[in-house]
Amino acid sequence: MTEQTPPEQVYLTPTPVRIWHWLNALGIVTLCVTGIQIRFPEYANIFGTYKAAIRLHDIAGITVSISFLLWIFYYLVVARNIAKVYVPTLADIKSGLFQQAFFYFFNYFLGKDNPHTATPDNKFNAIQKVTYFMTMFLLIPLVVVSGLLLMNIAPLRAWIIAIGGIKFLVDAHYLLACSFFAFLCVHVYMATLGHTPFAHFRQMWTGWEKMEHTG
Amino acid sequence: MSRTRGYLILLLSALIPVMTAAAVGAAERSTCLSCHGERKILNKGTHLYIDPAKYESTTHERIGCVACHTGVTPRHPADGVRPSRAKCEECHAAVYAEYEKSSHSAYAGCTDCHKPHAVKPLLAVSGRDINIQCAKCHDNSATVKSHAKWLPQAALHIDALPCITCHTGSKETVITLYMAKRAGDSRLGGVALAGYEDLRSFIPPGKKIGRVIDSNGDGAVSLDELKAFNTSSQFKHISLLGTMMPEVVTHSFQILANRWDCTFCHASGPNAQQTSQLAFPEQGGTYSRMIVEKGAILDILYGTPDFYMTGFTRNKTLSIIGILIVASGLMVPILHGTLRFLTRSRRKER
Ligand code: HEC
Ligand code: HEC
Ligand code: HEC
Ligand code: HEC
Ligand code: HEC
Ligand code: HEC
Ligand code: HEM
Repeated sequence: MTEQTPPEQVYLTPTPVRIWHWLNALGIVTLCVTGIQIRFPEYANIFGTYKAAIRLHDIAGITVSISFLLWIFYYLVVARNIAKVYVPTLADIKSGLFQQAFFYFFNYFLGKDNPHTATPDNKFNAIQKVTYFMTMFLLIPLVVVSGLLLMNIAPLRAWIIAIGGIKFLVDAHYLLACSFFAFLCVHVYMATLGHTPFAHFRQMWTGWEKMEHTG
Repeated sequence: MSRTRGYLILLLSALIPVMTAAAVGAAERSTCLSCHGERKILNKGTHLYIDPAKYESTTHERIGCVACHTGVTPRHPADGVRPSRAKCEECHAAVYAEYEKSSHSAYAGCTDCHKPHAVKPLLAVSGRDINIQCAKCHDNSATVKSHAKWLPQAALHIDALPCITCHTGSKETVITLYMAKRAGDSRLGGVALAGYEDLRSFIPPGKKIGRVIDSNGDGAVSLDELKAFNTSSQFKHISLLGTMMPEVVTHSFQILANRWDCTFCHASGPNAQQTSQLAFPEQGGTYSRMIVEKGAILDILYGTPDFYMTGFTRNKTLSIIGILIVASGLMVPILHGTLRFLTRSRRKER
């Protein structure tokens, strides 16, 4: 396989990760849109009836939970490089974040090169690592757990009371959802900052990334 | 003048039997209950026993046994005469007329739902009590199953709501909070309604049970009092669960199309700020209600932490914080995108 492809391409995203990613993206977008109707039914009637929004929200939530398991399974059991790929190093935190931010918000406008080059074991720059790490290890698990609790209030009532009550749970779920919405805006936009606007999207679809400096 | 006096006499003569019945009632009740309120009568037949604690808290207690059972002779029960039983419609004509019109009257009579010796007004029952009445014929798990076909979270709804909130025609509903306690054996995920005994030790001596939360004794529950209750370690095992009760009782049991639409309850209309009520369990299994400060059910942390109805009791401040989070996310593409557009020539030069 590798021999037949031009050397300036690199296989960054294996198939299971891509399947997870697009299932997850579809799921999260559905959750956000249905969520708007669920919290603000007087202002947003997007799916006809309230229960249609609820049903769709439940299905999307389960999709996201299952695809999250797929993601964990792949990175922990198959690829076993989750620490390398996702966990920010001390250098990432100390200097990487600043360098990368300086590039995005200054050098980028001057037309300078991205200081980070993606390789399969080091595919994220410091900013990506930190945000993806937070998203995948904090936001997703929290939103999945709070969502599952909310889908089973009657049988799990005592637990819900023990963690601070259903209002706390609902409001945490809502704020997490808003964070996802915000993440999504930034994430989709940042994904257009490749050497062409669609380079990263193509990569996320096919797995192959054209190396920037060869282009 | 004479006309008025005529009416007065008419009125008095109508009242006399009632008054004497009430006076005689009390006396006769104690004689009747000296047999029918003793557990040994159970040996002659369980239907003969009347629980005095339950009976004495009913309104029927005030009208007395013989108002409904005429023909009890001094030689009763040895005479072998079977005392009569009053028909409910003799006194509850309006309810009877309403109920007769509903198709449900073909399936159940008054005494299928009400024990004449343990009747309670709506305000004195919990939603759970009502659903137990219905569950005699409408098996609970079958109801959950049939409702789950169209109702998301059917088990939760059937657990949390009295059937009559959806199946009778009261136009208004009242948010009612019940005190619940942890309990390992309950269907409600380890939570059961708390009774008087569970709270007895918290009642200030000589005071009514309402003082457990209404600490200043003004007969209403304020947000501050709720906060004190919810944050007190004393009451860690007690929480407030909410439900929607119909405001008035109607006996037109029916399927109402608008209850099929979730936003009948799950949308914050002008009612979102409504006052709610807190039901305190009394001795004998009844409840007394107290008004709760307006808007308390919307408070994020300290009003009713264990009561939330999606789309209805959302907190406005929190909604705005969430929208600000989304807006700050949107600013990145907007600001960066603008600068990107303005500096696009620099990247092309490369
Ligand atoms: C001395 C004890 C005693 C007293 C006092 C008494 N009862 Fe009874 N009552 C009985 C017994 C025993 C029976 C069952 C008789 C039978 O099944 O033959 C009975 C039967 C009845 C029944 C219905 C029986 C049926 O199966 O239909 C009614 C109604 C009733 N009593 C009402 C009253 C009322 C009202 C009073 C008070 C005015 C009263 N009783 C006082 C002992 C008593
Ligand atoms: C509001 C009217 C009302 C009052 C007041 C009332 N009863 Fe009854 N009672 C009834 C009715 C109606 C029945 C029949 C219940 C049924 O069919 O299930 C009944 C049934 C009974 C029965 C059982 C008979 C049977 O057939 O099962 C007894 C015993 C009885 N009553 C005694 C009393 C006594 C004693 C009192 C007072 C302490 C009393 N009742 C007060 C209406 C009343
Ligand atoms: C002799 C008259 C009389 C008869 C017969 C009678 N009731 Fe009542 N009932 C009353 C009165 C009076 C009240 C209290 C005022 C009110 O709510 O209407 C009452 C109240 C009630 C209540 C509400 C409880 C409360 O404390 O307000 C219920 C439920 C009830 N009755 C059911 C029945 C049923 C069921 C029957 C037939 C078995 C029946 N009643 C027969 C007079 C009667
Ligand atoms: C299918 C069950 C059912 C039947 C049948 C039924 N009721 Fe009721 N009734 C209820 C419920 C539920 C309530 C409200 C809770 C409570 O008070 O127990 C109620 C409440 C009442 C009240 C008190 C109203 C109030 O404002 O507090 C009266 C009086 C009453 N019923 C009388 C009757 C009479 C008379 C009949 C027969 C014609 C009858 N009921 C038949 C279920 C029923
Ligand atoms: C004595 C038995 C009995 C009791 C108690 C009873 N029901 Fe029913 N009910 C029936 C029967 C029988 C039917 C008709 C079969 C069916 O739809 O399940 C019915 C039907 C219904 C229906 C459907 C009516 C329609 O138009 O199709 C509703 C709603 C209902 N009951 C509500 C209630 C509620 C609420 C209560 C309690 C307050 C209650 N029932 C208590 C026997 C009962
Ligand atoms: C959230 C509102 C709601 C609650 C709570 C609720 N119901 Fe219903 N119920 C409905 C609606 C709406 C329908 C009509 C469903 C349809 O047309 O498919 C219905 C249908 C029914 C029917 C007739 C059809 C069937 O599914 O058997 C019965 C009987 C019934 N309900 C009994 C009950 C009983 C008993 C309870 C309480 C344990 C209860 N319901 C609680 C809304 C409710
Ligand atoms: C329509 C919505 C989305 C689009 C268009 C999109 C697009 C992309 C693109 C182009 C990439 C590759 C570029 C890169 O590595 O940064 C990517 C990667 C990634 N995205 Fe998204 N995304 C979407 C939604 C989401 C959501 C909702 C999440 C998480 C909540 C998410 C998490 C990630 C992660 C963790 C990666 C790195 C995956 C890996 O290689 O392991 N994305 N996305």
